Amino acid sequence: MKKVKKQDISKLLSQWQKEFTVFVPSRETGVVEMVVWDGQDTGFLDWYRNTVIPPKANILPNMEKMFGFSKEDGRYNLELPDSEEQKHLIFGIRPCDARALSITDMVFQDAYEDTYYLNRRKNTLLVGMGCVNPYDSCFCTSLGLGPMEAADVDLMLTDTGDEFLIEEVTDQGKELIAKTEGLEEATRDDEARASEVRDAAYQRVTRKIDTKEIAKRLPPSFENEKFWEKIAAKCISCGICTFLCPTCYCFDINDEVVGGDGARFRNWDSCSFPLYTQMPMENPREEKWRRVRQKVCHKYLFYPRLFDTIACTGCGRCIRLCPVNWDITQTLASLPAEATAGTESRNGD
Amino acid sequence: MSETEQKLRIEARALLEQGRVDYIIGYETGSLKFTTTPLITTNKDDVDRLVINPFIVNNLSVFLRETSGKAGIVAKGCDSRSIVSLIQDQQLARENIVIIGVPCSGVVDLKKVERLTGKDRDELDDIIWEGDKAVVTIGGVKKEFQAREVLLDDCLSCEVPVPQEYDILLDEVGPLVCDKELSRSHIKGLEDMPPEQRWQFWKNEFSRCIRCYACRQVCPACFCERCFVEESEPQWVSPLPKWQDNLIFQVGRMIHVAGRCTDCGECERACPVNIPLRSLSKKMEEIVEELFHYRAGTDKEAPPLMAAYKVDEAEDFIR
Repeated sequence: MKKVKKQDISKLLSQWQKEFTVFVPSRETGVVEMVVWDGQDTGFLDWYRNTVIPPKANILPNMEKMFGFSKEDGRYNLELPDSEEQKHLIFGIRPCDARALSITDMVFQDAYEDTYYLNRRKNTLLVGMGCVNPYDSCFCTSLGLGPMEAADVDLMLTDTGDEFLIEEVTDQGKELIAKTEGLEEATRDDEARASEVRDAAYQRVTRKIDTKEIAKRLPPSFENEKFWEKIAAKCISCGICTFLCPTCYCFDINDEVVGGDGARFRNWDSCSFPLYTQMPMENPREEKWRRVRQKVCHKYLFYPRLFDTIACTGCGRCIRLCPVNWDITQTLASLPAEATAGTESRNGD
Repeated sequence: MSETEQKLRIEARALLEQGRVDYIIGYETGSLKFTTTPLITTNKDDVDRLVINPFIVNNLSVFLRETSGKAGIVAKGCDSRSIVSLIQDQQLARENIVIIGVPCSGVVDLKKVERLTGKDRDELDDIIWEGDKAVVTIGGVKKEFQAREVLLDDCLSCEVPVPQEYDILLDEVGPLVCDKELSRSHIKGLEDMPPEQRWQFWKNEFSRCIRCYACRQVCPACFCERCFVEESEPQWVSPLPKWQDNLIFQVGRMIHVAGRCTDCGECERACPVNIPLRSLSKKMEEIVEELFHYRAGTDKEAPPLMAAYKVDEAEDFIR
């Protein structure tokens, strides 16, 4: 295993910048998000805990041009975007957000292969950074990972104080390290210290959910209108928890047309909005409780049925960014213990 | 439990037990440190969870249009203005609401505390009031801040610490910290900018808007059945989060709530990407007052600003 001094991170990123567009956590834009590194600033090492805008935005942007079109002699000519060959490197992605990408991969390469998403994903190297200071809203340890989980990144950095230990996880990660200069070999002591840091970080995640109990209680609660009404009462139906969720991937498609020419875009959409399911004659999720139920069930019931995994990584953004402190862990903990409705839920929605 | 909280719980229980209301809308302790969360309940046993503290930030009047029947609502002075404004607009019937007034000396702006301490909310051990100072404890070390440093900007220009419209008043109001200059210092900064610079400022701010519509959803004055931004025939605003459309959405929304906005500051507080929306809404409130001598939500008998016309009205806006 290799290691690098924190003061040398800038040199490391400079080397990588020759091959990749390097993204780092930044608050320059007014909100914490992954933006292109300016070639100098590594101040984020002092303040960064996690981004507000999840790194999914780097793979599935909130606004993306799919293709352009122009009208000529009664026919449309399509202009497909140049396939992006530039390689990206996201430095400092947290384990929860990296796991979230592994989860959204499943839907984007399912029956339909989404080339926009998959191309970007393929061209993006993830350099993870474990959390030594998780938020009080974090609950990743209940979802099969932890604040130092390395399974979903190419390289994993563990903060041991003045240095980072570098774990080479994938072949691409190994290749990058092989051609990176200025790294030192980690000693056995370093590895022992990293292991202590990992254990301590794991202990610092105190918010818990019980996924086994949830799997048992959620299906019979599906039709329990009273429960969902109560749970949904204080929700204001904004898009914060879904837009800023690293595993929420819904998008809308819109054409921008002037004359006969224009372009097709896609942008994030949210099941919290009534308009999401609005149809000409009816809206199956007109009531707020149906939308809240959809959000919870999509993550904890439908996605597990479809892909055998919960579509939540416990990043806690939906809790700490919610204007009314609607807390999904409280909802999940308050699911009725016994089947009250007695009717089995529909499969998927 | 404070004396005010005790009174509140007794009153709320009585309202439900006597059948005077179907719902109680108040605050309970949140799931995160230094937060409260709305408590909306029909169950009298839930009233023992009601709290009153310097973290009751939400303007609960936004929930009144959702509850059927009669509701008893915990309201600070600013919230009561929103309720009155909704009555003026005939969105609510006065007889269907029991206003439980909470005298308020201001609520804490956690973002300010975070900025002052350089720590995140969850890294703070405690925030308590000692007289007119906020004492913040971090890792066992105490730091003192003036109230004006940590209260929400809209609290610093508060003129209604005691609700003007109420059915039950819980307590006497404590000392009010007013600093109107500080309250509008951000607006002053914008006013002093040359127009090009101001345009650039708002362009930057709205470039990061993600169109989550939290600003609209927390706003009691935003009660349109269908928001203009969601119209598709014609489409006034693109649903794509381009800065121009984000700006048009917000300017449109602001103008729509002119004469209804009470400067409760919820839009700015809810914004996850830190757009200083109150600089627009407060400025607009000032313009409404200057041109029409009208303050939203201060007189439930008054016709809504945009629904009335006076022959001798100022026409300075026609230039």
